[in-house]
Amino acid sequence: MNPIVEACGLTKYYGDYTAVDGVSLGVAQGSIYGVLGPNGAGKTTTLRMLLGIIDPDAGTRRVLGHSHPAEARARIGYLPEERGLYPGMKTTEAIAFMGALRGLSWLDGRKRGAAMMEELGLAHAIDRKIRQLSKGMAQMVQLIGSLVHAPELIVLDEPFSGLDPVNQERLEALVRRERARGATVLFSTHVMAHAERLCDRLAIIARSQRRFEGTVDDARALLPMQVRYTPRAGADAQAVAALLPAGAAAVGEQWHFTIDEGAVEPLLIQLTGSGLGVAGLAIARPALHDAFVHIVRQCDADYVADADDDDAAEAGEAA
Amino acid sequence: MTRAFFRIMIVVARRDFLSIVATPTFLLFLLAPLFMLAMGLVGGMGAAGLADANRNAGRIVVVAPQADLPALRETDARLRSATGAVLTPMLEVRMAETRPDNDAVRAIFAEPGSDTLAVMVGTLAYPRIWERSTDSGSGRYLALLAEQSLIARSSGANIPRAVPQFTSLSVPAPSNAARQSLAFGAVFIIFFLTLLLAGQTVSSLAEEKSNKVIEILAAAAPLEAVFMGKLLGFLGVALLFISFWMGLALVGGLIAAGMMGGAGASGGEGAAAAATLLQAAPATGWGFFVAIGFAYFIMAFLLLGAIFLGVGSQAGTVREIQMLSLPITIFQVGMFGLASAASSMPGSTLARTAELLPFSSPFAMAARAATDGDRMVHIAALGWQLLWVAAAVWLFARLFRSGVLSGRQSWAFWLRARRH
Repeated sequence: MNPIVEACGLTKYYGDYTAVDGVSLGVAQGSIYGVLGPNGAGKTTTLRMLLGIIDPDAGTRRVLGHSHPAEARARIGYLPEERGLYPGMKTTEAIAFMGALRGLSWLDGRKRGAAMMEELGLAHAIDRKIRQLSKGMAQMVQLIGSLVHAPELIVLDEPFSGLDPVNQERLEALVRRERARGATVLFSTHVMAHAERLCDRLAIIARSQRRFEGTVDDARALLPMQVRYTPRAGADAQAVAALLPAGAAAVGEQWHFTIDEGAVEPLLIQLTGSGLGVAGLAIARPALHDAFVHIVRQCDADYVADADDDDAAEAGEAA
Repeated sequence: MTRAFFRIMIVVARRDFLSIVATPTFLLFLLAPLFMLAMGLVGGMGAAGLADANRNAGRIVVVAPQADLPALRETDARLRSATGAVLTPMLEVRMAETRPDNDAVRAIFAEPGSDTLAVMVGTLAYPRIWERSTDSGSGRYLALLAEQSLIARSSGANIPRAVPQFTSLSVPAPSNAARQSLAFGAVFIIFFLTLLLAGQTVSSLAEEKSNKVIEILAAAAPLEAVFMGKLLGFLGVALLFISFWMGLALVGGLIAAGMMGGAGASGGEGAAAAATLLQAAPATGWGFFVAIGFAYFIMAFLLLGAIFLGVGSQAGTVREIQMLSLPITIFQVGMFGLASAASSMPGSTLARTAELLPFSSPFAMAARAATDGDRMVHIAALGWQLLWVAAAVWLFARLFRSGVLSGRQSWAFWLRARRH
């Protein structure tokens, strides 16, 4: 792996509150990397530190070979979580302005902006003012503005929020196209479907700390496989329960249970040889959504347990 | 890095400049000062008039031998007592056994401080009286003083008569009073323009904060470049504004001159106008004075604009900006007060203080250009002021980054600093 973005132990405090606590991650060149986490987990603060908008209180970062990300500004495209454009500007002017901030000439910015708007089906909005656009259209214009200078690294903070399904699909296609161009894409989201489809690797941040780092498959492998088994009609329920792993639950005619990834083949042999028959069988790997919920819930449980331990210790000390 | 800094500065300046100028409301803004200007002129003329009343008292000088001095002083006291408060110029009596030559007399007229209105040299019987303006009251008073002193000293039956010889200055000496008025005028104009134009920057960053563009700017550019770009953008608006009014004034002046020419203005009137202009000439010369005044306006704008921009950037809401406007205006008026007081006391400690204090320095130094002929000091002053512009921009960019961009909205930056 050739990391284009490296973070090691990034920490940020706001007064007594720890917004980001020792987050480390590495993004390979030419990959799509997702930073996932529930609301308030610290995703935006992590991205801001990586971009050099704010400085970390502890930890180091290296972006495009620079330990001060500000030195690589012109090679980065950024779509912030809070969308913002000057309402009085025309769309192509707004795009050209954002390109000009990164070193692109106004003329090229206008030309490229208009071309990209046409590609994304926004040709009708080329000469309109920002205040005349819908929220979704304005967001697409801002996205174009962050890509117009053909950056090497694209950082998108919650890029899909506020977009309709059609535009979400366009955005996904755009992200893939940018990756194909050679750019590296780093984006945050709490919508798992996009991450599942797009990410080569991802990190899950919860309660200010990184709880997971790996591929989508790695995340899904954290949970056992889900099995839905329907025995032949009239099969003895007690015999079925005895055959299936502990914890199997009958839901109507179906039995729901989980198995580890390596246990699929033995299960099939067991079921076919049992004489209970197989009227229906579905073995599914868990979705990223399930893995995410599992990780976040586990994190919450740990947090509550830690808090209880602290309370108990304080009560003990007080006694 | 430096190139990128300037490029971003220009990009931001261009955006801000066009966003203000390319709107219909800018026309209203351009014309709005008419009323303000009228009010300001009335107030300014009143204040200048009061200041002039004190400065114009002036003095009259007698250079006489030791033997004549007692009689002159005694007669002056008697005449003043008889005329009451009518005679305002104070008499200054100087001892000289030989009659001073013409150059020495001219040097007396050029002395700093109170204006010298008339100088009498020679004997009491045949005094030579130099006047700033022909047939002046001061000149006539000196003639009377010589004659009355002569009478008071005589003991015989013959009452002596003084035979004065009046001389008017062929080249009028520059008037200190006029220069101080000019100094006050420079302070007032620069203050008026900065009050009108620099205050706009207070709400500048509020726009970016309210429409969330600030994060794009912060990610793409050094905040110092954004701050400087905004200052330059607003300075561009200010210069456009000034150019508009100067152009208007020039056209008005040309039309007025044309009308006067048409009415057949006499050569005498022209000469009088030229003499008045010469008397009011700033110590550094008109060309330098206007150029340096313009440079000081730019520095005043950048300095105060940087402060306003920085303080305004810490505000989170329109209400906070409105609340901040009052102390900012009071601060600005305070600087004006200091500089205008300094302009009436050139060379004093107060004047030096105002010249050194960074935020009154542009006003006070512009005033100094009217009363002090030293030109080199202005280079140092511009450098000093520029240093403070950079310091203010740097400081407020840091405060902005550490505070507002961290998501904390309070403008109480000293509290934020304490938390860290």
